[in-house]
Amino acid sequence: MTRALDGIRVIDLTVWFQGPVAAQYLADFGADVIKVERPQGGDQARGVRSIKSLEIGDWNQYFLVINRNKKSVALDLKTEGGREIMYRLVAESDVFLSNLAPAMLDAWGLSYDKLKEIKPDIIYATNTGYGRLGGVTKPSFDMTVQALTGIMARLGEPGEPPIYLGMGSGDAYGGIMSALGIALALYQRKRTGRGQCLDASLYGAQLFLAAPFLQSYLAGDSSAALQQSRKQVENPLWNLYPTTGKWVYLCEPNEDARWAALCRAFGDTQLAADARFADAAGRRQHNEALIEVIEAHSLRHDHTGLMAAFEREGLVASPVNNLADVIRDEQAWRNNYFMKTFCEEVQREVEVRGLPISLSKTPGEIRSLGPQLGQDTELVMMELLGYEWDEIEALKAKGAIP
Amino acid sequence: MSRPLDDVVVIDLTRLFCASLGATFLADFGARVVRLELLPLAPREDGGGGGVWNHEADLIHRNKESLALDVQCEQGRALLHALVAKADVVLTDWSVPELEALGIDYAAASVLRPDIVFGRLSGFGPLGPDRDLPPIDELAAARTGMMPILPQPGQPPVYTGAGAMHSSAMLAFGVVTALLHRCVSGEGQAVDVSLFGANMYGAALDLQAFLAIGKGDRLLNPISRLDVSNPMSGALYPSADGRWVTLTMPDTDRWWPMFSAAVGIAEDDARFDTHDKRTESSRLELIHVLEAAFATQPGKHWRQVFADKGMSADIIERFDYPATDPQALINRYIVELEHPSFGAVKSLGFPIYMSEGTARLDALAPCSGQHTAQIMRDLLGYSEDDIHACRSAGVVA
Repeated sequence: MTRALDGIRVIDLTVWFQGPVAAQYLADFGADVIKVERPQGGDQARGVRSIKSLEIGDWNQYFLVINRNKKSVALDLKTEGGREIMYRLVAESDVFLSNLAPAMLDAWGLSYDKLKEIKPDIIYATNTGYGRLGGVTKPSFDMTVQALTGIMARLGEPGEPPIYLGMGSGDAYGGIMSALGIALALYQRKRTGRGQCLDASLYGAQLFLAAPFLQSYLAGDSSAALQQSRKQVENPLWNLYPTTGKWVYLCEPNEDARWAALCRAFGDTQLAADARFADAAGRRQHNEALIEVIEAHSLRHDHTGLMAAFEREGLVASPVNNLADVIRDEQAWRNNYFMKTFCEEVQREVEVRGLPISLSKTPGEIRSLGPQLGQDTELVMMELLGYEWDEIEALKAKGAIP
Repeated sequence: MSRPLDDVVVIDLTRLFCASLGATFLADFGARVVRLELLPLAPREDGGGGGVWNHEADLIHRNKESLALDVQCEQGRALLHALVAKADVVLTDWSVPELEALGIDYAAASVLRPDIVFGRLSGFGPLGPDRDLPPIDELAAARTGMMPILPQPGQPPVYTGAGAMHSSAMLAFGVVTALLHRCVSGEGQAVDVSLFGANMYGAALDLQAFLAIGKGDRLLNPISRLDVSNPMSGALYPSADGRWVTLTMPDTDRWWPMFSAAVGIAEDDARFDTHDKRTESSRLELIHVLEAAFATQPGKHWRQVFADKGMSADIIERFDYPATDPQALINRYIVELEHPSFGAVKSLGFPIYMSEGTARLDALAPCSGQHTAQIMRDLLGYSEDDIHACRSAGVVA
């Protein structure tokens, strides 16, 4: 299969989620991604055993999915021998990616200035927590950074606790931003021949997760920062409604024809004649009353019944599904958003998140799930870096590699 | 200074915030993005500006050029096709039938320009029974399964809007990846991103866990913050002044000595002296002890304690925090700019820094048709007379 990023080699010195998922995007499209890990335990995400107190089962889907299509080389970067191998890897690579703290990279001799000496056109990509400048170096896990952006505080009903967007939600966004930066740098290098350093921080990315609302706030709309009740939305036709089953999300503009269709769906001719709701301005002005009226109707149905009535009238809506629904959603499978792949660890086919970006001629693929720690160390050293076996033995004896 | 996409011409046929923002990411990094505005122009809802800063346009259309064109007439259609023939990238959130009607769906566009990269945002992906559903992020989010489990138990589902923002970055990444392939192979291709797929990736970990495990009430129903799986990670506690504290210290053994001291629990308290006790047998008890402890001091106090000890914990802020955060300004995540009509204003800036070609703000959103003549001249080779004739005939504005 033709791959968009064939011939691009990436050193992936990342842990947990944001960095690994950035490299995953590159690996899915064919880059040769070599994950470099510490010999003792490797990436900390290898140690994940449970999610929300649920045992993860016999395979570690947290680690194996975002590290798919990668090789693993185990190096002790605290040793001179380990650093020497890393430098030889860098000399053969196009991209160096890390989400470790810049101070740690400096201490290990892996600063941009140093790696640029070894490979002048290297693309050196970092995922800092809060940006390269400004000196903030506090720990930067997904949720503690998300907390600062303001996005959590504006979600939920007024008076309820702030809402986290979900495990890994900010890391996933930082990851795609990082992949975008790397792709841009690779494209620029094709034309100019020059490498560069780039940074996609968790904070910088997450500020864009609420872009429409944060931008409104910056322009002076202070209410954009606050929780808003679903009982008070301006357009009652674009809102969440409960049924006796699942909630339903109705997504219609505040237009007379759509309002008439909604009244027909409810079979309520009296409602259609209610003067308060006769035009868009009235429906906006009496929004709270209207939401109560619609809710009284929606609660007479379960979601299937309500959706059927909506569909008869061509109203745009969706039941609010749960995760058990989405894993069976035909649409997700048909578009390869979910895929099946063989898992070496358990010797059977497993189901994984697939390819959210479809390229028609170079579609991306899952060749293998995440590697075992250090599984490619010797092979990469011999085939790519040209080490002799006795040199490898010597480096093992010195503890540079396991 | 050069920028990554200096040699790339993009035709922007977008309506949605997220798709337009995807094109902005390309424009910020140097692409010449021509935004097509269809004639006759729809009247603006606010009656034409009315002295209010159009902050949305100055984010999602910054650094772009505008061409106003009537695509319903034959001459306008020909101009559109000439434009596509000159483009490297088309980026659109229009439906396939709309594009087909103008002869610029992927198949037709790749006849006009064989190596075109055709980026398209849809609601639910290019295949499958729901491929023609409208691109509405709320519909996609509702299908993704996360909305019911984000709030506290008993609360309505929560729509975050984050999936749409995910799609912007995915679209830009997909297009640049296809451009990289074109450099090597000479071939263009279609790039498809959907709001559904983007929402699914935003929900990465819960979704993958349920896919693998196949069951679990804790992934189907909201978890109360007083029943959080790890009292020291993913947890929320109110402080004395009502500001919320959040903790992310999954490895509790590492943090316990420092953390227990900070919240006034004896390090060797036999109820909590191992990771298993803290996260299993004494989990609920620890949550209640922490709830009481955090309620004794205001948010400011806790932020100071966390900062002094370098703990992975913070206070939950509102938008006023990033709006005035020097860290956001110095890294240009938020920028201050001088608006010709509204003076000094702040806007979202640039999430990615690049040393050799970083993003910059060259221009605010264009007026409709601001660059029509220029684009016809330098991109399409029209003479001044031809441009004038097109304008007189109402083909362009």
